[in-house]
Amino acid sequence: MDPLFEHQLLQTRRQFFGQSGLRLGGVALASMLGERALAASARVHPPLPGFPHFAPKAKSIIYLHMNGGPSQLDMWDYKPQLAAQFDKDLPDSVRQGQRITGMTSDQARFPVAPSMFKFAQHGRCGRWVSELLPHTAQIVDDIALVKTVHTNAINHDPACTFVMTGSEVPGKPSIGSWLAYGLGSESNDLPAFVVLTPTFPAASQAQALFTRMWSNGFLPGKFAGVALRSGGDPVLYIQNPAGVEASDRRTMLDALGKLNARGFEKFGDPEIQTRIAQYEMAFRMQRSVPELTDLGSESPATLEMYGPDVNRPGSFTQSALLARRLIERGTRVVQILHRGWDQHNNLPKLLRGQIEETDQATAALVKDLKQRGLLDSTLVVWGGEFGRTVYSQGKLTADNYGRDHHPRNFCMWMAGGGIKGGVSYGETDDFSYSPIENPVHLNDFNATILHCLGIDHERFSFKFQGLDQRLTGVEKQRVIKPVLA
Amino acid sequence: MRVLILALASGVAFAADRPLSFNRDIRPILSDKCFACHGFDAKHREADLRLDTAEGAYAKTDGVQAIVPSDLAKSEAWLRIIATDKDEVMPPPKSHKTLTAAEKATIKRWIEQGAKYQKHWAFEAAVKMAGKHSIDSFIAGRLKDEGLAMSPEADRETLIRRVSFALTGLPPTIREVDDFLGDEGAGAYERMVDRHLASPRFGEEMTRHWLDVARYADTHGLHLDNERQMWAYRDWVVRAFNDNLPFDQFTTWQLAGDLLPNPTRDQLIATGFNRCNVTTSEGGAIAEEFVYRYAVERTATTVETWMGLTAGCAVCHDHKFDPLTTKEFYSLYSFFYSAADPGMDGNIDTTAPFLDVPRASQQAALEKAARREADALKQLDALAANTTYADPAEAQSPLARQTVRDVIFDDVWPIGGDAKNTSRNATDWTSGGHSSRRAVRQRNSFYHEDSITGMLAPVTVPAQAQFEVWVRLDAHDPAKALALALDTIGGRKRAWWGETVADTPLGALPAKEKRGPLPKPGAWARLAFSADDLGLQEGQRITGFDLQEAGGIVWWDAFSVTGESDPATDTLTSFSAWWKAAAKKDATELPAELRKVFAAGPLPDAVPDQVAGLHAFYLARIARPVNADLAKQRDAWMRAQADKEAADTAIVGTFVFRDLDQPRDSFVMVRGQYDKPGDKVEPATPAIFPALKKAKPDARATRLDLANWFISPEHPTAARVTVNRLWQQFFGTGLVKTSNDFGSQGEMPSHPELLDWLAVNFREGGWDVKALVRLMITSATFRQSSVVSADAQKRDPENRLYARGPRFRLDAEQLRDNALFVSGLINLEMGGRGALIYQPPNIWEPVGFGNSNTRYYLQDHGPALYRRSLYTFFKRTAPSPFMSNFDAPNREQSCARRERSNTPLQALQLMNDVQHFEAARAFAEQVVLKGGSTSAERIAYAYRNVLARPPTTEEVAIVQQTFEHHLARYTKDTAAAKKVIGNGESTPRADLPAPEVAAWTLVANLILNLDETVTRN
Repeated sequence: MDPLFEHQLLQTRRQFFGQSGLRLGGVALASMLGERALAASARVHPPLPGFPHFAPKAKSIIYLHMNGGPSQLDMWDYKPQLAAQFDKDLPDSVRQGQRITGMTSDQARFPVAPSMFKFAQHGRCGRWVSELLPHTAQIVDDIALVKTVHTNAINHDPACTFVMTGSEVPGKPSIGSWLAYGLGSESNDLPAFVVLTPTFPAASQAQALFTRMWSNGFLPGKFAGVALRSGGDPVLYIQNPAGVEASDRRTMLDALGKLNARGFEKFGDPEIQTRIAQYEMAFRMQRSVPELTDLGSESPATLEMYGPDVNRPGSFTQSALLARRLIERGTRVVQILHRGWDQHNNLPKLLRGQIEETDQATAALVKDLKQRGLLDSTLVVWGGEFGRTVYSQGKLTADNYGRDHHPRNFCMWMAGGGIKGGVSYGETDDFSYSPIENPVHLNDFNATILHCLGIDHERFSFKFQGLDQRLTGVEKQRVIKPVLA
Repeated sequence: MRVLILALASGVAFAADRPLSFNRDIRPILSDKCFACHGFDAKHREADLRLDTAEGAYAKTDGVQAIVPSDLAKSEAWLRIIATDKDEVMPPPKSHKTLTAAEKATIKRWIEQGAKYQKHWAFEAAVKMAGKHSIDSFIAGRLKDEGLAMSPEADRETLIRRVSFALTGLPPTIREVDDFLGDEGAGAYERMVDRHLASPRFGEEMTRHWLDVARYADTHGLHLDNERQMWAYRDWVVRAFNDNLPFDQFTTWQLAGDLLPNPTRDQLIATGFNRCNVTTSEGGAIAEEFVYRYAVERTATTVETWMGLTAGCAVCHDHKFDPLTTKEFYSLYSFFYSAADPGMDGNIDTTAPFLDVPRASQQAALEKAARREADALKQLDALAANTTYADPAEAQSPLARQTVRDVIFDDVWPIGGDAKNTSRNATDWTSGGHSSRRAVRQRNSFYHEDSITGMLAPVTVPAQAQFEVWVRLDAHDPAKALALALDTIGGRKRAWWGETVADTPLGALPAKEKRGPLPKPGAWARLAFSADDLGLQEGQRITGFDLQEAGGIVWWDAFSVTGESDPATDTLTSFSAWWKAAAKKDATELPAELRKVFAAGPLPDAVPDQVAGLHAFYLARIARPVNADLAKQRDAWMRAQADKEAADTAIVGTFVFRDLDQPRDSFVMVRGQYDKPGDKVEPATPAIFPALKKAKPDARATRLDLANWFISPEHPTAARVTVNRLWQQFFGTGLVKTSNDFGSQGEMPSHPELLDWLAVNFREGGWDVKALVRLMITSATFRQSSVVSADAQKRDPENRLYARGPRFRLDAEQLRDNALFVSGLINLEMGGRGALIYQPPNIWEPVGFGNSNTRYYLQDHGPALYRRSLYTFFKRTAPSPFMSNFDAPNREQSCARRERSNTPLQALQLMNDVQHFEAARAFAEQVVLKGGSTSAERIAYAYRNVLARPPTTEEVAIVQQTFEHHLARYTKDTAAAKKVIGNGESTPRADLPAPEVAAWTLVANLILNLDETVTRN
């Protein structure tokens, strides 16, 4: 527990216990301990002292991670001149001997596979967008697109670990945990950092997720992402066992509060007070989580905007709507990790399937935040762990091809709090193989995210293993200023 | 309070008039604020100034000296510290580091007092203090300096519960409490401690902590995160602690057991320590890169475990804070870089080097079964060699068709067949088949396929062929679809049963191939189909088959076919038909001299002797037996084969560490990149430490040399790090709080003399772990009451001075084990494969790769649900919430210290998790049955079981009121009461009234959630 917060709690409690002499009845005691004392003293998830470092543009973040490596070439990085290169060998001058994965390193040749999808310009900014993204195309004026993101890792496990923790080696905290640690959360009834792992198209050979993508690493355990689940309890153990009603739980908790208060009298350990407060928070969550996941209060127009999948539990669409509801209720970080974006072969069909599950809801989320006035204070991030190669993996035909992993440049975008809409940053070569202008390392990208949330990434560290560990690593990183509002 | 915490950051608050010590007072400040630019790392050193040594600080450059002892005005460093100009001031603003007023004052005093330097404390040998000492004399002495005193001894009930959890991870029974309370003789406490030290549970509790350090788990950890067989290592650790294996040997065995003369099996199993690291087999990953990474990881883990140093920084550059150069790091790394295990683990559970670890009885059984099988085969071959045989294909007139019944598989796979399955591991044969010895199990709620190809004895489809196979669906998790596909010359034919399972390979099966519904789960059932059903023609050859399931668990057994066959074309009656049909080119079942002629097929110039040999082979092992004697002997051989395989499968193994025959050359890897070798290095240890003594002075240093170096009397850290970890285990916080970092960025010990005294005692006393534990547990320091006054809490919130006894939340495993233990549900069986206990749905599934054999969680049932937490299955990429929710590490890397968080998610789990709630119900039944007749008596019984103490009158009143409230409610609503007692898989007692048990269940749930219950007081 944060020492300052602990101190505040202790003081409040001590005054309370001192004055009341613990003679209060159980219900009153429990409710005072649970709610009034907390409300009077502090937030359940307070920020670190001195945080944010400066006035933030965004108060919260929704991070949409397309797991597997979405193809920048078929979605965002428009290369009209590639059509003329169809099935020609990728020039060595482009590849420059860069390493490729063991999955295509044995290929006899690397035939160029132009995107088979049509691109058109959209919005006032005139952004080129693939026909696969009709909905996201409608919000390009809110989006800052970064075309030159690059990462260190070339395979899924290390790359997923890198994009979420800034390190290829497991054990570091995820970006969401860092944010929860630094900024705390506005909500006293819900976790500070919530993760959703929606279902994905059955046809996809979906790459794995790893709990380390939302784990606390070396930060205290309370900063781990809490999975909001579509199967079973939405939050683990949120439901009382069969035959136990909320009123039974209340009876039990009243007694627990009384007995634990006597424990505090006896032992004097402030952890006991924290525990009393956490049991009360648990009880509140038992109310607030079902309320959160009940979409009954959403208007038909809103539901329609997200799309027909919105009523399917566990769908990306429903997850997107839940993300907005979480942000509304004060949760600091929401992450949606959607699987299945690893199109080594049969890309046109499979990528279409992935996008059909996500495009409308992604755009709806941004529009919905905007219409509620929440977009200004919410940063929305979209991306994957790497991009895909311009050359075809396996057989190339006019309407079918596959693409291997490509860490050297790929597209991510940001929208909302702190972001200048309609911007495109960075340029890649004619083959979308290497950045030729303004390369952005993932750690730069993460530094930019922190900046939008009011954090100077260089001053955001945690001492572990003898080092001041940072999300953005030991190398010099920079905030991408041109995408900022 | 905040101020106090800062003051404690480098140990504990010290009285202001203590003389300053460089290590205690100055180094932490310089290390944190200055060494990054003015420290050990030459490459990043600014202005060529180093402040970590006296030579550096006192050196004169251009007439300027950073530190002049006792002369502030001439000390440039001091002038820069107090400078106001932002271009002058140190640390510079761009470093985002500033010195506090208190830190400046300390530095000022230190320079004034003569700016004396010391080598970092942890690199100096531990000093044995003269005179008689004890843990308590050190603790009390320090407290006296601070004007404090120890707390009185805790009451006996608190003490026995504290000791019991500390040494066994379980609470004491009422009987144990009574024995202790009743023992009025001197030494009662010591006797009680000794009883716990002698318990087999002691090794289990000690192992729990070691497994965090050893990063033990049951899966590989990366990408597919498939299962691995590693538990023999875990079970060895338990044995080692229970047998009190001295810690020096515990060290040597784990780091170099394979290099000991004639290593025992346990010494080899112990080397698994450095096979516990995460591994990958991701498609596209580069093996050399991972060979490199594993060596780096093993080096870092070893250095952290025995040296208390964080070596990770030196992978890329010289350590900024501690004297470890990159070259020295890679010299340590070269002890591990020649490991024989592959970069790609193959996603199998037996990645080499792998050691079979049969129990003695299993080894004997296997040897006996192997002898029997060899004998049976020898007799069969001899019998066949003396049997006359005429090929029906060469008969003058066509022979009549004959009724045949052929077993395609039963207890063993068909001869020559290559068996593969989707788990990537060996076939999961389990005992208790339909027909006799064993059956093939398939378990994966997604999809599982066992595939047999290249049968050496292809089956010829007879006329009017009827096939049958026996299956048993699991009663809890029945498969939802089964399919059996035959490979024939002329295509694949399939029959299936049940319902298609969307998103699996059995998701879209043609209706015309469906042969009916699934049988009832839980019992063996026969599935049958005919050749016509499949569109098979008489005479087609079956060369292989697939058994497939989706959605659950199934066993398969005894697959056979009956019909009428033409002897002249039947591969099992006609030698020439078989020889022609058999397409197998590498039939290793054949004697070596016959393989070539067999593969060539029936040619006119075949050597007659060889043909005769093939003949005999055919009659013995392939052909339908041509006479009763052969039939009998064949049958005997098949049974012997199944017995041998069963004996073999029963034997599990474990990953062990071994070097390649030819060591790899090691190099400094430039900036930590696996493909950028720099200078070549040899195995060696860092210069700041005492020299490594090699067993063979002229040879390359070995891991055994390294292990012996750690445990040598001169080595400054191994004993200190170890006693500190144990201190942390029992007192909640180490004497060095940063128990994984004894370097200059770590904290100073709160009681340096005590740490050294313990370390020297430990080493000189023969590294006796139980003796050390006993020393700590029997100290007055440990036995103090943990009650804290507001004042004391404010003065020392973390209890670093030990003016009171330790009080902290139980660990994840202890919380679960406690509930199981007091409820009587616990299963204390030791060892073996990790149990798949209760786990909420969708822990593994949403993250697991489609192809992983640990994607779908198929829970065990019955007693396995109640195994101790130590023996539960640990999947690294999705650990069980009962562990991760309570701060257990995910075992992806070594962890020497767990956090102790206090969260609402923990409250939810302890209240609502079925394992806790079921335990509450089972405990409630005990309370009703054994707790006396009045509710007050029963409450007292419950309290004594859980807390070892009786409740106060006030507590009884509160609990009683709650109980009556619940009882009234459940008496009114018996349906709800039945639901309450129906939670979990164990059966509630039928002889107790549901409303009463339900009400007591909520009371038990209450008592199991008390702060005092979840805490070691």
